[in-house]
Parts: sequence; C-alpha cells; structure tokens
Amino acid sequence: MKKNVLVLMSLMLISSIAVAGCGSKTDNGSSASGETSDSTQGKPFEITFRHALIGERRQGTLDLTMEAVKKMESEVPGLKVKMDGVDGEVNRKDKIRGEMASGNVPEIFDAFGSPDVKTFAKEGKVLDITPILEELGIKDKFLNLDAWSVDGKVYGLPMSASAEGVFYNKEYFASKGFEVPKTYDELLALMDKIKADGKIPFSSASKSAWVPLMLTNQIWSRLAGPEVTAKFSTGEAKWTDPAVTEAFKIHQDWVNKGYFKKGELGLEYVDYNTQFINGDSAMMFDGSWAASLFQEGGAGVSLAGKIGFFNFPPMPGGVGDQTSIMQDMNNGYAFSAEVAKNPQKLAAVKSFIKNFYTEDMQMRFLVERGSLPCMKLDEAKVKEQVKDPMMQEIMMMLLHSESSYAAFDALVPADVTTEIGNQIQKIISNITTPEEATAAIQKVQDEANADAE
Amino acid sequence: MNKALRNPMTYILFVIPGMLLLFMFFVYPLISSLYYGFTNWNGISDHVKLVGFRNFSKALSDPAFWSSVKNNGYFILFSVFIQVPITIVASLMIANVKKLQGLYKTAIFMPTVMSTAVIGILWGFIYNYDVGLLNKIIVFFGGQPVDWLGSPKTAMLSILITNCWQWAGFYIVMILAAILTIPKELDEAAMIDGATGLQRVRRITMPLIMPVISVVIMLSIAGSMKAADIIIVMTKGGPASSTDVMATYMIKYAITNFKYGYGNALSFIIFIFTMVVTVLYQVLIAKRAERIDY
Repeated sequence: MKKNVLVLMSLMLISSIAVAGCGSKTDNGSSASGETSDSTQGKPFEITFRHALIGERRQGTLDLTMEAVKKMESEVPGLKVKMDGVDGEVNRKDKIRGEMASGNVPEIFDAFGSPDVKTFAKEGKVLDITPILEELGIKDKFLNLDAWSVDGKVYGLPMSASAEGVFYNKEYFASKGFEVPKTYDELLALMDKIKADGKIPFSSASKSAWVPLMLTNQIWSRLAGPEVTAKFSTGEAKWTDPAVTEAFKIHQDWVNKGYFKKGELGLEYVDYNTQFINGDSAMMFDGSWAASLFQEGGAGVSLAGKIGFFNFPPMPGGVGDQTSIMQDMNNGYAFSAEVAKNPQKLAAVKSFIKNFYTEDMQMRFLVERGSLPCMKLDEAKVKEQVKDPMMQEIMMMLLHSESSYAAFDALVPADVTTEIGNQIQKIISNITTPEEATAAIQKVQDEANADAE
Repeated sequence: MNKALRNPMTYILFVIPGMLLLFMFFVYPLISSLYYGFTNWNGISDHVKLVGFRNFSKALSDPAFWSSVKNNGYFILFSVFIQVPITIVASLMIANVKKLQGLYKTAIFMPTVMSTAVIGILWGFIYNYDVGLLNKIIVFFGGQPVDWLGSPKTAMLSILITNCWQWAGFYIVMILAAILTIPKELDEAAMIDGATGLQRVRRITMPLIMPVISVVIMLSIAGSMKAADIIIVMTKGGPASSTDVMATYMIKYAITNFKYGYGNALSFIIFIFTMVVTVLYQVLIAKRAERIDY
C-alpha cells in the first residue's frame, strides 16, 4: 500500500512537470497556427511598436508619432497597435538583440541603421522594405539611406536627421563683444577670452565617451578630410595617419589648456547640457537634437531665442571641404522580417510608412520638435514655416555646407567604437599620448578588418 | 522499514525531478555557454562557426582583460583586509553597547537594504568634483579638490569604499549575531578571573566567532568576483577602463560589440577563476577555522 502511495506521489511530481512543459508547448502551437491561417481581411490582430520615446523630453515626439499610428489603425481593418516604450540604450544594446536571437522581434522597432540593422539584415532578420518604398513612390524622397541599405536594398528608415555644430549663448557673446569665429585661430582666441572671463569655453561631460568624441570626430574630419572615417574600415586610411593623430593631440591640448570643465570624466551627458543652460559654459558642441532643450517643455526654455548655432570653423592645413558637417540619419525604425509572412501585418507596416514619412510630418517635426528632416523638403516652405532663429541658423548651416559625413560609430565596427571611447578617456586624463592612442585604435581596426574578410 | 524504500526505483523516481531541474537550469546553460565560447557567434545569426580556442586565447592575451582581473583582485584584497576587519571591530563595538543597540544595528544595516543603483547615485553626489561632500570637506581644511570618479587614479578606490559601505552592514549583522549567541557565562567567568576587555576579545570572542568570520570572508570573495552593478552605475567601467572588472569587461567588449561567442568564453573564464579562488580559500583557510562546541 505504502509503496503505491510513494510511486503515485513521484509520478504526480514528474507528470506535473511534464504537463507544465506540454501546456506551454500546445499554447505556442495554437497561436502560431492561428497566425498563419489568419489571412482573411478584418480579423483582429495586433502588432507591437517598440519605441524609445520615453520621458518628458520626448513626449512631444511621441505625440506626433502617435498621430501616424492612429491613422495606421484606422486604415488597416482589425489592427491594434501595442505601443512598447523602452529606454533607447536598453533597447539597442540588450532587448532587441535578445529578441533577434530568439526570433520574437517586434513588428516595428526603434533601431540604429549602421552597424545594427545592417548586421540584422545580413542574417535575414529584418524586412526588406524596398518594394514598399517603390510602391509608395518615396524611395528618392529621402536625403540619404546609406546607413540603412545593404546591396541596394533598404532595411529601415531614419526618424529624422541630426547635424553637429556649436551652440553658443548669444546674450553672453553680445555682452562681452565676442563674435562667432570664422577661422580656427579666431576660435582659439575666443576660447582664451572666455576662459579669462571665468567661464568654461566648451561644455564637457565624458563619462560616456561619445560625448567628447563628437568634437574629436569633427576635428579629425576637418584635418584629414570628411571622407577619412569611411576609409578606416577599408584600410585606405589609418588612425595613425598624422592628421588623425593631430586631432587627438588638439583635444588633449584643449583639455590641458582648461577649455573644458575639470572633472569631466565623472559627468553624465545631462551635465553637458546643464553647464550650458546655467551659464557655466559659453559654448556646447552638440547635435541638433539639443535644440529641443530650448523649446517649450525643455530644460533650457528660459534661453529660448538667446541661443545661436554655428558650424565648426575651417582649420589651417585641413584636407577637403572645410564646411563639411556631421550629418546623421542613423536612428529610426526597422521592421521584423516575419511581417512578410502575414499580409495583414505587411499592410500595417506599409500604412505606417505611408503616414509617417510625409512631407507634412517632416515639416511638423522640424517646426514643433526641432528635429531636422530626413526627407527632401521644399526650401521656400522651410524658410516660411521655421520661425525659431536658432532652427533657421541650423537649417542655413545645412544649406551652406557642401558636404556631410556620417558619425564615426556608424562607419567603424562596434569593437573599434569601444576602443576609441577607451582611448579618448585616456587622452582626457593624460595617461596616454595621441600617438599611443591612435596606434591602439588602429590595432583593433586591423583585427576587425581581418575578421570582416 | 518496508519494501518500497528498499526498491532503487523509488529513489530514482524521487531524484529525477530534481535532476531534471538541475540539468535544465544549471548544467545545460553552463554547457551551452561553454559551447558558444568556442564559436564566433554574434548573438543573432543562425550559422555558428567553431573557432577553437581563439576566444579564450584572445581574452587571455588582452591586457585590458588582465587589468579587469587585477581590479577584481583589488576588490578581494579590499574586502578581506579592510572591509572584514572594519566589520569585526564595528560588531564588537555594537555588541558591547548598552543603550540604543537596536538603532545602531538598523542604521548600519540600512545601506544593504537600498538598491545598488540608489547607492551609486548617492555616492556619485558625495564624490562630485564641484559640489560633493567629500571635496567640500577637503577644501574646508585647505586641501585641493580631488576628481574622485573622474580620475583613473582614484576611481577604483572610490568604488571600493562605496562597495564596502554598502555591504558592511550585512556582514556586521552576521558577526553580531554570532557574538550575541556566545554564552554570557564565558565572558563573566573570564572577567572574574581578571581578564581585560582586550584579552576577552582575543581569547574568547574571536575564536568563537571564527567560523562566521570565515563565512563572511567567503561571501565577500564571491561577491568581489561577481561585482558589476555598482561599477556600471558609478563609472560604467571608465574612465579609460580603469574600473572595469571581469564582468563589466565582458559586457563592454563582448555584448556591446556583437561578439556573443567571445562573451561566453569570458563568462566561462570568470566561472573558472571564481571556482579556483573559492576552492583555494576553502582548502587553504576555511578548513582551519575549527568547529566550535560549547
């Protein structure tokens, strides 16, 4: 009798585990078969829209995006969009990669074109949207889709563009009689004057290495030419080239001359903006995305109308176009490759692209949110609608520069980006020389180039 | 007793569920991690190529990896030689306090209850170059402000101090519990024999709490080997990788860089290192801490 009880108990234990296992299996099976047979129009279905527009600062952008989402919901019968907001960094470095590996990719997701989406595309995990763009006739309306294209096929679309340059405090400049520097020497003289006045010439916060690297990237692109960064991965140019090394040296010189805040390696990007907003620093080298700080709801709204923007001045002995600007269209949306198997979902994606990537939307993003357009806009309309003088300056700078280059992290493999970040922090803390730093970066670049072949 | 318990089948049936769970959640992940350590898997691809020992040799020949190992070493040394003595002294002091003992216990245990993220940010303020409490004090006494978290020279030390502060309370509570369970008679008898306070600590209290101290050292070594969260919150491994430990090195160089194969190799190396350190400690030191019988 007792034997039976024991056996029964053990059997129950095992079977409960087995049942639990099977339960989830049958669950998956039914939902999977449900999806594939579900091709009739109008049947309720759901797609996930992963965005990184969380937090107060991005609320306005989310509101605008929601308008396109609402239109998509009304256009596609049965569609329900599940908005899934995740912190950008967490999504990019962690969540989306895990989902790529497991195969549960959200239908629409926030992504970086290069190198992320390009890597996903090579594995066949993201949707080739070239046919959709052609059908909608908007393929040629974008300024530049290089970051999103592999072998001529497009795998995602940017949200907006961004350009990098110098924000400066107009009021302060006027009160001291300072002028926007036209040459590199004028910039150096200006920084000395600002320093003598007791202010920090440039904001600095280098806990995250990309923040100081915006400036270094600009300087090496002036000295070695805007095309140089793209040539590192092909081996045509080297980090150890004198002009590139010189840029790292200049950055180190600026640190040692006190053009940046002391203790910058312990500061977060938020401090970068704060130093500028509270008047500790007179200039801030940053992306055009920072323009939203000085608009309604931004932390620096009290400075609205008092902020100017100028392009980094030409450098003596620099190679190539000296008005060139860093222009980036790397952050945007990509779509799961699974969408292609389901006509309803494909229709939803098409509808999103149709409603989100319109001239009207781009203009509203520019006027209301200060984000630069990634599509070609009518110049006259831009001039007429953009009232904010700072945005006008940014747009004028874009119109007046003859060339642009992508940010370095879109052009070199991720491990090189990590190493550059490591080395720039060493440069800032003066524990390495520019020559040693570029040699170390080149070593990682060589390894990455060899791996790629 | 009866036939059922003599039947080997019964034992197997009882053991199987446990074994299954153990295999599913411990053995399988370990083996699969080891397997991917030998591949060039990028974390997404369906095709995985075996590359032999390349990932392991790459890690072991990378000076950045060894500097992260060294930082783990600092964690261990700091825990064993600074944190543990401090906690012992603090425990002895609290144990002998007559009034407000509960308050001291609670106050000192507080940091352990707080999340690492909160502690990291809190200490970030204390270490702040401009407005931080620490630099305010230094400047008040006429010193030069120190760039605690921003300088590669001081960043590691700053984190070690924070980490010590965070976990001291946990260890103090453990040691305190051991001290308070020592029968009062022993102490009283020694007092009657004329032993001084210091003598009583040395001859009675310390030997009797040795097993607990051994456990505390063990825990702090294991904790040092897997430290990562406090570093990510406070410095992200920077500046210039000066505070990277093995775990953050793995995250920074392997996961961020689309190199899961490399990351798995690293996690296996960390596993081996941790095993070696803990086994060495068990064999060399913990065994000597004798069992106490009253």
